[in-house]
Amino acid sequence: MYLRVGTCTGFHILNNIRCGYILPTVAVQVRYRRTKHWDPKWKPLRKLKVMEVELPKYNENYDAVTEEETKSRLKEQGILPPRPWIERQFHISCTGGIFEPYIPPEGDGKISPITTQGAKQKLQFLEKKTRTMMAIRKIRSFEDDFDTTDFCKTAENIYIKSHEMLALKDKYKIREFITERAYPEVMHNIRDKTINWKFIKSIELPRIVHARCTDIITKENIFAQLTVRFHTQQVLAIYDRFGRLMYGSEIIAKDVLEYVVFEKHLANEYGVWRIHDKIIPDWMPDKEPSALTHKRILRSETQLPDSTAITDTKAAPETNVKLSDNST
Amino acid sequence: MTLCNYNRVLLSKIDRFLGLTVFECNKLHTSSALSAIATTQNPRGWLKYNKKVYPPQKLGEEPRPAFVCHQKCNIKYSPWKMWYIASMVRGMSVDEAIKQLKFTLKKGAKDVRETIEEAKELAVKHHNVEFGSNLWVAESFVGKGPVIKGMRRHGRMRFGVVEYFHCHYFVRLEEGAPPENYYQNTAKAPSEQLQNWLDNMRHRKIINSL
Repeated sequence: MYLRVGTCTGFHILNNIRCGYILPTVAVQVRYRRTKHWDPKWKPLRKLKVMEVELPKYNENYDAVTEEETKSRLKEQGILPPRPWIERQFHISCTGGIFEPYIPPEGDGKISPITTQGAKQKLQFLEKKTRTMMAIRKIRSFEDDFDTTDFCKTAENIYIKSHEMLALKDKYKIREFITERAYPEVMHNIRDKTINWKFIKSIELPRIVHARCTDIITKENIFAQLTVRFHTQQVLAIYDRFGRLMYGSEIIAKDVLEYVVFEKHLANEYGVWRIHDKIIPDWMPDKEPSALTHKRILRSETQLPDSTAITDTKAAPETNVKLSDNST
Repeated sequence: MTLCNYNRVLLSKIDRFLGLTVFECNKLHTSSALSAIATTQNPRGWLKYNKKVYPPQKLGEEPRPAFVCHQKCNIKYSPWKMWYIASMVRGMSVDEAIKQLKFTLKKGAKDVRETIEEAKELAVKHHNVEFGSNLWVAESFVGKGPVIKGMRRHGRMRFGVVEYFHCHYFVRLEEGAPPENYYQNTAKAPSEQLQNWLDNMRHRKIINSL
C-alpha cells in the first residue's frame, strides 16, 4: 500500500514534468557525480526517497520562546502545561538592609566644635545619641543581661571568626557569623580566590556607635542593628585563581578602620548577633590598585587630590573582597 | 525535544512514510515545561577546569599563566569536518585565529569563531586576564554530539539509515604569546639539520684511531 502511495505521487510529479511545470531552466549542466541520473527530471523523485526529519533545535534560546509557543508545542505532544505555583514559602531571619544607617563623620569626627560645621555635627550627634539609647533600652527589654562592653568583646570575636571562615571558605560555618543578606555578597567576592587573612591586634577597643531597632510585619517581630567601630591591625593577601597576588601583601600589616553592622532577631528566642553589613563612607579614598594591572587612566575631577593616579579599571567587586577593604 | 517526544515524532514520520499504523508510544514522565525545548546531556568535564583554584605562588616565582576553557555544544555539523577547522587554529594567537576563521569558507568556522570570541570575553570578565588580545589557542578539539537517525528508501522494500551528526567544540585559551612551534615534532630548519649532522660527525668515535 505504501509503495502505491509513493508511486502515485511519483506519477503525479511526472505528469507535471510532461506538462512542463518543473522543467529545468538551465539547459547545459555539467555533472561530475556519476551516482545520480544525468537527467534532472528525476530530482524530485530522488528527494521523495529521503524521509523528512525534524531535527531538534539544541541551541535555541530558552527565553526567546514565547508562552504561546511553549503551550502549542506541549499541545502537540499531548502534555499539560505546568501548573502555576501560587504558594511561596519564605522565612525572614534577617532584614534586607541597614535601616537608618550610621554615617561616619569625615575625619573620624575630630572637627573642632567652635566652627559652624563642627557645631552642627555635635548637635546631630546628640540627636542621634538619644535614639541610640532608646534602641539599646529596647534590646535590654529582650536581653536582660545586655552590656555594651561585653557586647563589644563578643562582636570582636564574631568579627574574627567570620573572617577566618571566609578565608577558609567554609560555607556552612560562616552562616553562624554572617546574616543571610551578607552571605551571597561574601560568597560572590571570595569566589575563585585564595584569601590569607590575619588579625594582629586591636589598636582601639571596639565601641558601639549606633543602635537601631525595627519591627517587620508585626509589632512584636523586632530586629536590632548595632554598628560597631573597629580600629584594628590586619594582614590581607588576595590571590586569584592561578595563585597570583591580586591585592594586599603577606608581610605588610595595615591599620583598618571599619564600621560593622551587627544584627539580631530579638523576637527569636534563639537569635544570635551576626555580621549584617559594613558601612563604607562616601569620602573614603580610592582603593589600592590591583597588583596585576599596569593600566594608567586619567583621574577624574571628583576624586580626592591625594588619591593615586593609577587605579584599577576592572570591576571593583570582582577584584576586591568587600568585607575587608576599607583600610585607611 | 525529549527523547520520548522525539521517538513519537519519528514514529509518526515512519507511519506517514510507510503507510503503517503505529500506536502512540507510552509517555515517559518528564517535566512538562522542559518538553517544549530540545535538551540533551552536554559534556560537563571540560568546564570543570575553570573551577580549579591553584595554590598561591611565592614572591620570586614566575606567574602562572591564566587560562580559560570554553565549549559550544550540539553544533549541527559533522565532527570530522569540524576537525580541520579546530586543528587550523591551534597555536595561534586569539586575534589571528579569529581573523583566519573569518576567511575560512566552512560552515563550522562560524561556530568556532563565536566560541573563541566568547572565551576571550570570559577570560577578561572572570579569570583575571588583563588584555583579551594577550591570549593564544592552547587547545582546540572536537567531540561527537548526538546523532539523529533518519531513513531513506531503497529498492525492494529495503531502507537505509541516514545519520544527522552534531558535534561539540572545545577550546582552551592561555595567557601570553603563542609558542614558536605548537607541535613537538615540527620539521627542523635546513641550517639546524646541517648543524646537527656536523655535530654528530665531529663527536663520533673512530675506533683504533689515535
